[in-house]
Amino acid sequence: MLNTTEALIRIVDLHKSYYDGEAELPVLQGVDLEVNMSELLAVIGASGVGKSTLLHIIGTLDRPTAGRVLYDEQDIFTWHDTELARFRNKEIGFVFQFHHLLPEFTALENVAMGALITTPNDKAVYEEAASLLEYVGLSERFSHYPSQLSGGERQRVAIARALINKPKVVLADEPTGNLDRRSSEAVLELLWDLNSKSGQTFVIVTHNQELAQKVDRVVQLVDGKIS
Amino acid sequence: MKFEWFVASRYLRSRRKQSFISIISIISIGGVALGVATVILVIAVLDGVEHGLKDRFLSNEAHVVLSLIDYGFFRDYQKRIKRIEALDDVVAASPAILTQTGVFRERTDAIQDVIVIKGIDPAQEDKVTGFSTYVDGSTDFLNSELIEKARLIRDETITGGIILGGRLAARLGIIKGDVLRLLIKIAEGPVHGALLPDLANFVVIGFYESEMEYYDNKLGLIHIDSAQKLYGVKERANSIFVRLTDAELAPRIATRIEDVAGFTVLEGMPHARTWMEAQAQLFWALRLEKIATIVIEALIIIVASFNIASTLIMTVMEKTKDVGTLRTLGSSRGNIMRIFMIQGSIIGMIGTILGTALGLSFCWLLSSNTARPAYWYAFVLAVPILLQIFIATQRVLPNKGGWKLAAWILLLVGVGFALYCLVRPISFVDLGLSQIYQMHQMPIKVNWLFVIFINALSLVICWFATLYPAWQAANLKPVEALQHE
Repeated sequence: MLNTTEALIRIVDLHKSYYDGEAELPVLQGVDLEVNMSELLAVIGASGVGKSTLLHIIGTLDRPTAGRVLYDEQDIFTWHDTELARFRNKEIGFVFQFHHLLPEFTALENVAMGALITTPNDKAVYEEAASLLEYVGLSERFSHYPSQLSGGERQRVAIARALINKPKVVLADEPTGNLDRRSSEAVLELLWDLNSKSGQTFVIVTHNQELAQKVDRVVQLVDGKIS
Repeated sequence: MKFEWFVASRYLRSRRKQSFISIISIISIGGVALGVATVILVIAVLDGVEHGLKDRFLSNEAHVVLSLIDYGFFRDYQKRIKRIEALDDVVAASPAILTQTGVFRERTDAIQDVIVIKGIDPAQEDKVTGFSTYVDGSTDFLNSELIEKARLIRDETITGGIILGGRLAARLGIIKGDVLRLLIKIAEGPVHGALLPDLANFVVIGFYESEMEYYDNKLGLIHIDSAQKLYGVKERANSIFVRLTDAELAPRIATRIEDVAGFTVLEGMPHARTWMEAQAQLFWALRLEKIATIVIEALIIIVASFNIASTLIMTVMEKTKDVGTLRTLGSSRGNIMRIFMIQGSIIGMIGTILGTALGLSFCWLLSSNTARPAYWYAFVLAVPILLQIFIATQRVLPNKGGWKLAAWILLLVGVGFALYCLVRPISFVDLGLSQIYQMHQMPIKVNWLFVIFINALSLVICWFATLYPAWQAANLKPVEALQHE
C-alpha cells in the first residue's frame, strides 16, 4: 500500500534535451520534484520552458535524456514498452489542452477505450463509462461523435476518459487552455470535485492564474529547473 | 485481440470526414477480389482444357500400348493377353494390327490419302477403348447389312467392313455403303517384272466421331481377322492395347506388363508405352502453361496487395494523432501493430472472399448450358442498377441501415442477373477453335484444392502487405504523434 505521507512520484535530476542534427537544445536541466499522494500540484512557467515535456516524461510518453522517475519507488524507465503501456493504462490518466478524442468513436466508446484495451468484459466497461459520463454531466451525449459536441463537452468527455481505469495520477496539460470562461469553470469544478472525492493525485500544467491559486501546491519551472 | 478488432473494424468503415479512406479501402478490396477471381477463372479454364483433352484422349486410346521394339509381330499374342489381363489393376487387353495404308475410292485410280489402319477384335477393343460409343453406324465388320448389300451388287470381292474417321470420310466424299480401296502392298504381277498394286475392297459401315483430330481425320478401323489375312500374318498382332483401372497407374504397371510379356529370342524385346509418354509433349505444354499462369496471377495478387499497403500507409498517416492518443491510453506497440494488421487483413479477407465468389460464379456461368434470357435483358437491367448506385451514393433513401442494406442487396441481385444474361458458355465452334482444342465449348473445371490454395496464398500475401505499415504505426513516438496535425 502506498503511504500518503510518502512521495508517490519522485523525480531525480531529470534532464531532457532535443537534438536538431548536431545541435543540442536542452529543455530540462536537472529537475528534482516530489509529488505526494492525493496532492493537487500545479506546474507553472513561461511558455516553452518545458512544462509539457516534464508532464510527458512523468506520463512515460517520452524518455528522459538523463535522470530518473520513481513511481512508488520503482524506476519506471527501466521497464519494457508493454510494461510502460500497462502502467499508463492502469495508473495514469491524461487530459490535454486539445481533447484528443478519437473521431470515429462515440463519446461513450471514447470513454470506455482505455478499459477496453485490457478488459474483455465490455458490458461492465460500458456501464462504468456511462456513469462517468453522467458524472461529468453528459448523460444525454452517449452516442454523439466528438464532431457533434461543443469544446467544453469534448473536454469533459476527455476527463471522463482519463478516469475510466481509476488511475492514481491524473496528468493535465493546460486542461482549460482552449476553452471559453464558462466551460473552463465547469471543467475546473470537476477537477476539484474529483480530487476531494476520490483522492486522486493531480499534476496540472497551466498558465491559468485562477487555477494556480486553487491548488494545494504550486511549483514554477524556470530555465529547466524547479525554482 | 478484441480491442484491436474493435478499433480496426471501425477504421475500416470510417465514413465520417475520412470518407477518402473508406473509398480506397473499397478500391483495395476490389483489387484483391479481381486478382483472386481471375486466378480462379483462368486456372479453371486451363484445368478444363487439360482435363477435357485427357478425358477425350483416354476414352479413345488405351492406357498402355505394348509393341515389340522393332515393331515386329507378336506370334502368340493370345497367351500374352491372358498374362497381362491377370495382372492387378488391368481391366482388359486387346490385340491390334497397326499399319498405314494408301486409300482411294472406287473408280478412281490415284491414292487420295494415307491413313492409319487399325485392325481390331471389336469385342475386346470395346473393353479397352470403348470405341463403339463414338461410332455412327455398325460395328459388325464382317456381317453388316451394308456388306451383304455390296456383295450382292458388286462383282468385286469385298474383304469386310471399315469404320472411317468422320472428317476423313467427309473429305474423301464417302457415305456409308461406299466401297473404299486399301493399297495393301505392291507386288510382282503375273507378267515378269511388272509391279501391280495389291488392293482390298472395304465397305464403309460407320463413321468414327470422337472430336479428336487424330482419330476423326486419320483413322480407319477394320477387323483384325481381315488385317491378318491381308498382311499374311495369321494369329499375329503387332500391338497389344491395355486398359487399367486408373490411367494414372500407367507408368508403374507398364513395367509389369513388359515383365509378363516376356522376351523371346524370335521376337526380341517388348516395350510398353504409356499414354503419358505418347502425349508427353501436349501435357508438358499444358503444365508449363499452367505454372506460368499461376506465377503471373500471383503477381497480380501481389500488385493488388500493394493497394492494401498503400491504403494502410495512408490510414496510418491519417490516424497518426489517434495512434498517439491510443498510446497515452495505454496501448502497447503490439496493440497498435495489431490494429493495422487486422485492418489490412480484413481488407484482404473480404477481397479474397468476394474474389472467390466472383471467380466461382463466372466459372458456373461459363459452364452452365441452361437457356438464358436474351442479352438485352442485361442492358434493361443496367439502367436500374446505375440508378440504384446513384441513389445509394446520393442518399436519396432515408439514411437508415435497413434501407441501405436493401439497396445493396437489390444492387447485388441486379448485377448478378445482368451477368447471368451476359456471361454464357463460350462456343469454340462459333470461334472456329473447335479443331484446335477439339472441344465444342470452352471447358471449365474447378479444382477445389487449388481454390483453397489460392485463398490461402492471397491471405498470406495480404498479411505480408500489412507488416510494414503496421510496424510504422507501432513505432510512432507517442508525443510526436499527439502533436501531429
